[in-house]
Parts: sequence; structure tokens; C-alpha cells
Amino acid sequence: MFLAFVVILLVGLSPSLNDVLILTFLFAGLSLAWNIAGGYAGLISFGHAAFFGVGAYTSTILCLRYGITPWIGIWCGALLAAIFGASLALICSRLRGPFFILSTLAFAEVVRIGALNWVSLTGGPEGLSIPPVNSLTNMVFSSKTTYATLMLGYLFIVFAVTKFLEASRFGYYLFAIRDDEDAANAAGINPVLGRTFAMAVSAALTGVGGSLFAQYFLYLDPTHIISPELSFQFALLAAVGGLGTAIGPILGSLLITPLSELLRSYFGSSAAGLHLVIYSAGLIVTMLYFPGGLAAALTRITRWRPFK
Amino acid sequence: MSTLGQLVFSGILIGGIYALMSIGLTLIFGVLRIVNFAHGEFLMISMYGAWAITHYLGFNSYVAALAIVPAMFLFGALVHRLIINPALDKPHLVVVFATMGLSIFLQNLALMLMTADLLDVPPIFSNSITIGPFFFKAELLLGFALTILCTIALQWMIRSTYLGKAIRATVQDGEAAMLMGIPVPRIFLITFSLGSALVGLAACIMLPLFSVFPTVGLNFVLIAFVIVVLGGMGSIEGAMLGGICIGVVQSLSSYYVAPAFGQMFFFILFLLVMIFRPNGLFGQKGASLIGMND
Repeated sequence: MFLAFVVILLVGLSPSLNDVLILTFLFAGLSLAWNIAGGYAGLISFGHAAFFGVGAYTSTILCLRYGITPWIGIWCGALLAAIFGASLALICSRLRGPFFILSTLAFAEVVRIGALNWVSLTGGPEGLSIPPVNSLTNMVFSSKTTYATLMLGYLFIVFAVTKFLEASRFGYYLFAIRDDEDAANAAGINPVLGRTFAMAVSAALTGVGGSLFAQYFLYLDPTHIISPELSFQFALLAAVGGLGTAIGPILGSLLITPLSELLRSYFGSSAAGLHLVIYSAGLIVTMLYFPGGLAAALTRITRWRPFK
Repeated sequence: MSTLGQLVFSGILIGGIYALMSIGLTLIFGVLRIVNFAHGEFLMISMYGAWAITHYLGFNSYVAALAIVPAMFLFGALVHRLIINPALDKPHLVVVFATMGLSIFLQNLALMLMTADLLDVPPIFSNSITIGPFFFKAELLLGFALTILCTIALQWMIRSTYLGKAIRATVQDGEAAMLMGIPVPRIFLITFSLGSALVGLAACIMLPLFSVFPTVGLNFVLIAFVIVVLGGMGSIEGAMLGGICIGVVQSLSSYYVAPAFGQMFFFILFLLVMIFRPNGLFGQKGASLIGMND
């Protein structure tokens, strides 16, 4: 499948479609990163926008203030996001179900309001702009195709990490914790440690996505970067595609990101919000009739043998 | 001193109104064991409905409640029939994502139909009321009084009527209630509709005090979640006390610190409660384990 993406890249699409491609790859990577916590470890978080924001702000501030190239800044952002993720998991280690979800939401709101008011660091509501000077060291490019390649690379890294986790001993620990915590504990797995690590990995990868987003849009402000809507989007793409599968979030983003971008560009001014109305209606129907998401539905179709 | 008193009293009044908005949420959580993420959007559409009645028909928003509350009861029943009920026997996540989808749906439908403009209603009372050294908006006092009345009526309903007893039985043990001949699915339907009707009433009381816009629900639903958790999910008195706490914290911190940090304070308060008292300040033991029905 990755080969198919690379072919699309090489053939080159019209510039407007390139934007769609960039966002599709980026959001596929982000929802895949969310899926490590949400799908594999069962930590449904509606606060991942906080990690996204931490990554975006860290690399941007390092670049603007200290002239450190984003190529290094991204990893600092990832580290800081991982620390945020681990602390969130530790804070919420005793919470389950709706309580956990609500706490992640509150956590992201604290980060957002903090970023909004710490004007000397983040520029507050006015936000930060990255000067649009094309250069490799500043990770600013003129060509959309370069960005698309960058995002595809990001998606590939997250996919590789997911696949690695899936097959590793640690991945099995996570499944065990998700499916039956007491049994996992009895079998000698430390659930708090497992959850904290899963959250940290997921947060770090989300932070990388945040830095890339900043490098592409060249502008960030707390209201858009750390919005609850963004957290919901990561989760919803994964849910539509199929939680706890490596292919699900990619399918979700592949289907929904282009759809919502196209609807937005067709109806844009005349009907603001229409694309989200269609998208959310689709989400409700998917959740009620295919709780396993697209991945499960596809498996069902491919395994369907009517003439056996 | 009188500033402090004024702040505390206005905090209590506004907190009471927040509590009314949260009671529906806590009731639904207590009985159905689900978190309705679209609760804020129920508030938003009720506020738009009340605004339309005041704007086009010229009634004030308290009169509009007579139409909005039954309408929201029916709307709640419809949502329960179409979305909540089919999702109840599926994994817990299905309800979370389905109500989240409903929330995005309603929010953007409102954005399409009503645009993002802020809408207000003209003030109903021209004077504020003076009690001793303190001044209050008349709308705020009336809203608080209605909230108290409503809480008392609801408590009476839960304690004394057959329906209330059936609801309590369902909360304690759904299966046993079913065996005793209580129609549990219908209790679920009625509770969900009742919760929606209560948020409709809250919207009519809030309309003279706050502007309405498509994402207004998000601001308030976060406050409502904080209140519900503080008070212990499923507890009506808890929601009342939690609401008043939040109102006072918000009012004091926005005066003494900064309005922007006022919000941050109660999210931090929320996280602290979650860490140290996950059952809520006044909730009973083990409350944080309900909602784990999968």
C-alpha cells in the first residue's frame, strides 16, 4: 500500500490535490499515533491536541528564538510531548472509562489556556509565525510534493512503530492490560507502567506530527492547535477506521480527510460546516452498524465467500 | 469585604444555574451509565429555540420554556430511540463516539443554519435587585429560584413517586429491577428524555444571561462535566453543591487573578478531584467504577 502512495507522489497531482494529500498523510499518521494509546492500550484520550501543540510549539520556539533547526527541534518536541503524555497517564492511572476521557479533555484545556496566557513564550492568542523563507535547514519548502513526501515519511515511521509494537512482547502486555487489567496484573504485568509507556510513545509521535504541521502551515495559535476539536478528530478517524488495528486509522484518514477537504472546497463559503455535518452523520452510522470500523467491515467483505 | 461578599453571592447564584444544566447529565449518567457528549449541544439547540421564540413571537424566554421543555423531552426520546438505545448493548466506546458524532453534527448544523454570529435577547428586567449591600441581576435571582424549585421537585419525584422508585431500583441493580417487572428499557427512555428536558429548562434560564452561538455548548458542557464529577456522578444534591463550588471558584478567581485563568482554575480543580477523590467530593464509594459496563 505504501508503494501505491509513493507512486501517487511520483506521478504528481495538481497543486490543490497536493494539499489534500499532505493532510491525508499527516492525519493518517496522527490518528495512528493516537491509536497506540486509544486502540492498543485502551486509553481513550480526548486530549491529544495538547501533545500536538507541545510538539508544534517546541520546534517552532526553538527555531525562532535559538535558531535551532526544526530537524533537531522535532525530537525535542517529541521528548517534551512524551513527558506530558507520561504525566497525564500517571495522573489518571486510577481512572477508567468516562472519568479517564473527561480528565484527558480537562488536561488539554489546562494546556490550551496556559499557552493562551503565557504570552512571552507562545505569543498568546496572536500566535507565532514561521518566516516563509524556503530552505532545507529551516524545513520550509516551496514544493508541495516535498511536504507530501515528508508527511508520507512521518506516516511510515508511525506505521513502523505500530507494527513493531503489535508484534513485540510489550504490545501483548498492552492488549492484556486493555482486555483484562486484573488478569494482566496477576500475570506479572505492571499496568500503570504499561499504560504510561504507551501514552508516552503515542504522545511523542503526536508531537512530531504537531511540529510537521507547524512547518507546513507556518503559523500556530493555541485556539487552533490545542482545540478539543482536533483531539476529537484524531480519535474519530481511528474509530471510523477501526480501533486497535494498524490499517484502520490509515483507512479512516484516506476516506474522510479527502472527503471533508473536497466538501469544504466545494461548499466552503456557501455552507460552512456542511462537510462536518456529513462526516459526523457518517460517523454515527458507522459506529452503530460497524462498531469495528472500516477495517472490520473490509475484513468481513474480503472473507465473504458466497459460493463455497 | 463587601466586594468579597458580592463575589461569593454572585458565584453561588451563577453556580446554581450551572447546576441545573448539569442535573440532566448526572441523571443520565446515574441511570444509563453513559456520558452523553452531546449534552452541550442539547443546551445550544434549546437556547436557539428559546431565542427564536423571543425574537419572532415576542415572548420572553421564561414563557418560551413552556414550549422548549416538552420539545426537548421529545427530542431526547428521539435521540434515545435512534442513537442511544441501539448503542447500549455494544462496547462502551460506541456510545462515546456516537454521542461525540451527534455533538459535531448538531454543532455544525447550527453553524450552517444560524451562522457563527452571537445572538442575544434584550434584558427582561430593567433594574437589578438590591439586598443589603449587594446588587444582583434579577434574571440571575429568578434563575436561581427556579433551579432550587426544580431540584426540590425532582428530588420529590425520585423519592416518592412510583417512577422515581423504579428509577432508583434500576440504578441499584438493573437486572434485579427487570426481574421485578420494572420495564428497564422504558425507564432508560424516560430518564434520557427527562435529562434532555432539564437541559432545555436550563437553556431558557440561561438565555437572558449569556449569548448563544454554535459552539456555546462546548464551553458549558466542560463546566457541566466538572460539576458532575465534583458532585459525584448520578447525585442530584451533589450536582447542586458542585455547581455552587464552581460558580464561587470562577467568580473569585476571575476577579482576583484574571478572567482567563478562572477557567483554568476549575480544570485544575477537576484534575485534583480526579486524582484524590475520584468518586467526587460528595459521591459514594465505588462511584468511579460505574460506567465500566463493558
